[in-house]
Amino acid sequence: MATDTVPLFAQPNTVRPAADAAGMRACCLAACAAGSRATVVRLGCDDSDACRLRALGLNEGTTVAVVDDRHGTLLDVRGTRLALGTALTERITVQPHV
Amino acid sequence: MNSVPTSSLTPRSPSAAPTIPVPPARVALVGNPNTGKTTLFNALTGLRQRVGNFAGVTVERVEGSYRAADGRSVAVLDLPGTYSLATASPDERIAHDVLMRRSGDGWIPDVVVVVVDATHLERNLFLVSQVLELGLPVVVALNQADAAERSGTRIDVPELSFALGVPVVPTVATRGEGLEPLRRAIDDAVRLPPPGRRFALPAAVAMAVAPLELQLQEHGLSRAEAQLEALRLLSIDATETGAYDGAVERARDALRAANEEPGQIEASLRYAWISQIVTRCVSSAERPSHATSDRIDGVVLHRVIGPMIFLALMALVFQALFTWATPLQDALEALVARVGDVVTATLPAGDLRSLLVDGVIAGVGSVVVFLPQIAILFTCIGVLEDSGYMARAALLMDRVMRRVGLHGRSFIPMLSGYACAVPAIMATRTIGEPKDRLATIMVVPLMSCSARLPVYTLLIGAFIPATMLFGSVSLQSLTLLAMYLLGTLAALAAAAVFKRTLLKGPVRPMILELPPYRWPSPRALLVTVAQRCRLFLRRAGTVILALSIVLWALATWPRLPVDPARSDAAQRELALEHSALGRIGRAIEPAVAPLGFDWKIGVSIAASFAAREVFVSTMGTIYGVGGDDGDTAKLTTVLRAERRADGTPVYSLPVALSLLVFYVFALMCMSTIAITVREAGGGAVGWRWAALQFGYMLALAWGAAFVTYRVAMVLSGGTNA
Ligand SMILES: Nc1nc2c(ncn2[C@@H]2O[C@H](COP(=O)(O)OP(=O)(O)OP(=O)(O)O)[C@@H](O)[C@H]2O)c(=O)[nH]1
Ligand SMILES: [Mg+2]
Repeated sequence: MATDTVPLFAQPNTVRPAADAAGMRACCLAACAAGSRATVVRLGCDDSDACRLRALGLNEGTTVAVVDDRHGTLLDVRGTRLALGTALTERITVQPHV
Repeated sequence: MNSVPTSSLTPRSPSAAPTIPVPPARVALVGNPNTGKTTLFNALTGLRQRVGNFAGVTVERVEGSYRAADGRSVAVLDLPGTYSLATASPDERIAHDVLMRRSGDGWIPDVVVVVVDATHLERNLFLVSQVLELGLPVVVALNQADAAERSGTRIDVPELSFALGVPVVPTVATRGEGLEPLRRAIDDAVRLPPPGRRFALPAAVAMAVAPLELQLQEHGLSRAEAQLEALRLLSIDATETGAYDGAVERARDALRAANEEPGQIEASLRYAWISQIVTRCVSSAERPSHATSDRIDGVVLHRVIGPMIFLALMALVFQALFTWATPLQDALEALVARVGDVVTATLPAGDLRSLLVDGVIAGVGSVVVFLPQIAILFTCIGVLEDSGYMARAALLMDRVMRRVGLHGRSFIPMLSGYACAVPAIMATRTIGEPKDRLATIMVVPLMSCSARLPVYTLLIGAFIPATMLFGSVSLQSLTLLAMYLLGTLAALAAAAVFKRTLLKGPVRPMILELPPYRWPSPRALLVTVAQRCRLFLRRAGTVILALSIVLWALATWPRLPVDPARSDAAQRELALEHSALGRIGRAIEPAVAPLGFDWKIGVSIAASFAAREVFVSTMGTIYGVGGDDGDTAKLTTVLRAERRADGTPVYSLPVALSLLVFYVFALMCMSTIAITVREAGGGAVGWRWAALQFGYMLALAWGAAFVTYRVAMVLSGGTNA
């Protein structure tokens, strides 16, 4: 996946601009901690689950906020609260915001 | 017929399009779950369908009607909630079938009212955008306008109406606001030009799906319908596209060639269109509507404190059942006794008096006195359902449920089982995976329902001391809590067994929407509880009354000639044993003797297979017939005093515990069996599952009661009676 590549000339000392999404590696949604925000890149789950998630407003390109990560992941999706099991969040690729 | 579309819109007959709009006679309410469709339905029709603050309260279609301004009767259909026209669990399919003109009875709406939650407008507009393309007249009810206003969300209604191309009416269903404008908008909607798609496909996408749309039109769909259906077919699971398999696959290939991911096209296009509308029509909230809920969830969903709150809530309910209900129950018992005394005093001794006093009053009366417990239980359940806690409980339980092989969502039907197994089994319709749904159906009756409450309360009240532990919790309410926990744990264990054997399948991941917390409305609560109490009394007045009379007759005939040599008490006991009921009891006795039960308990259990409360009424009748003439002592007193031939009490603690455990597990409810047959697939398949359910629960009940009795005997140092 293209978003998985590490920048070749990463300079550890420079402060990344906040909007520079390419500076953060894409990861799975399950890895996002409470309080963080991320943009959905890919829904790698079953087609039927993906279809349901998209209807619920969690489609590719949506920015979500992780509200709680104690029981699966509780997300803020378009103003609604959506709880997803780990089996799902592990297969959703997101681009975390800095 | 291969070419007939199976999973799509049914073609409209070409001659059906009327040119002069007739006023609408049929209105369907659709929308996302938990938006207030049923609340609106109740407000429109004056009916009292169940409402609750979680997704999936309504799981079947319900029809009602209202009078329009010109006196015409308009039929209204309340439907289960659905997030889109593409996903389908059994409850959602009911809504889709009506919208897509596929419902079995041909119920086609003249106007579709999409009930939208104004506080979650963006997500709700997804379904709206799909419904607009059905070609039916649409009205959008912008419900929960009060909640939106409270959170500072401003929605420009005329602008929204302009953007969607259909009338938009703000409503507050809970307060009945906006109903008149809504009715007018429904009448007007048929005269407006039909709504349709308000966005265009990008050229590459349009090219790729054109052949599919064409094929759909060849099968009789209109152009608009074909466009909607084409997007739907692309977004669903590739294995479910049915008759259009080939065309869909070609469209997918064409899209991939154009560098588009077929599965995500529909959602991307619709949400892109929606974003524009939201930017134009909604001035965003100053206070996010979830702030308070999030703060509460911070505590309620805590890893340690959360489950403790859950248990504490349950303990509180059971404490309430004993401490608050007791004075009311005592008053009712006194009333029943009073009625018995009056009848005894006014009627001459004889069969009629015995029928009324020992059969009807002792039987029905012994059940009716539990009305306060029923009212309290349903008040507590109502508060849980209306506050929004149900979804949190499901989330807390997800970890446990996953180990069982189900996901947290299945816990909501199980929790509903505390009220009654029948609606709980219906509620499994929200579970999409057939195997998970069946596994949940099979175990729901293990959750202790309200019909067990009279049995539990009678036995616990009579045989468990009312000792206070830790100063505030009574041993009685703890025993009751233990019974409910026992049933719940057994349900989880049984589900685990089913999911590993007959219903083997992967654990589906959980997707669950958490609604914002709400204050339960006291008025709505009162209505629900009153409804439940009426139902309870009606059962007492019908099933239990009829059975009480039958049992009284069985306990009275055939008669034994009076033997003057015997004492009154011995004579009555012998007569009871000589009666038909006594003979049946003797026949049953060997089956229940290992559990520590005598024949009277055996008969009561047998009778309670019709309905669990009948156990209590049968006890009332047996001890009424067998007891002193005109004696209307409290049933608990009678039970405590009952002795075997050798003078030992019939109801020792081991016997009482064994009976309690038996009732936790046994499936004794005709309605549950009937509903399992229907929901598990109907016909022979349904009957097989129902038989299995009945069988395994009976075996479990017998085995657990046997073990309880033996262990309790050993612990209490008693001997085998
Ligand atoms: N504040 C507010 N709450 C409302 C309004 N209408 C409904 N509610 C609440 O919203 C919740 C859901 O109401 P229901 O009528 O059960 O919703 P539904 O759309 O039928 O839900 P499902 O049957 O699950 O699809 C309940 O707690 C209602 O009290 C409203 O206009 N304002
Ligand atoms: Mg409803």
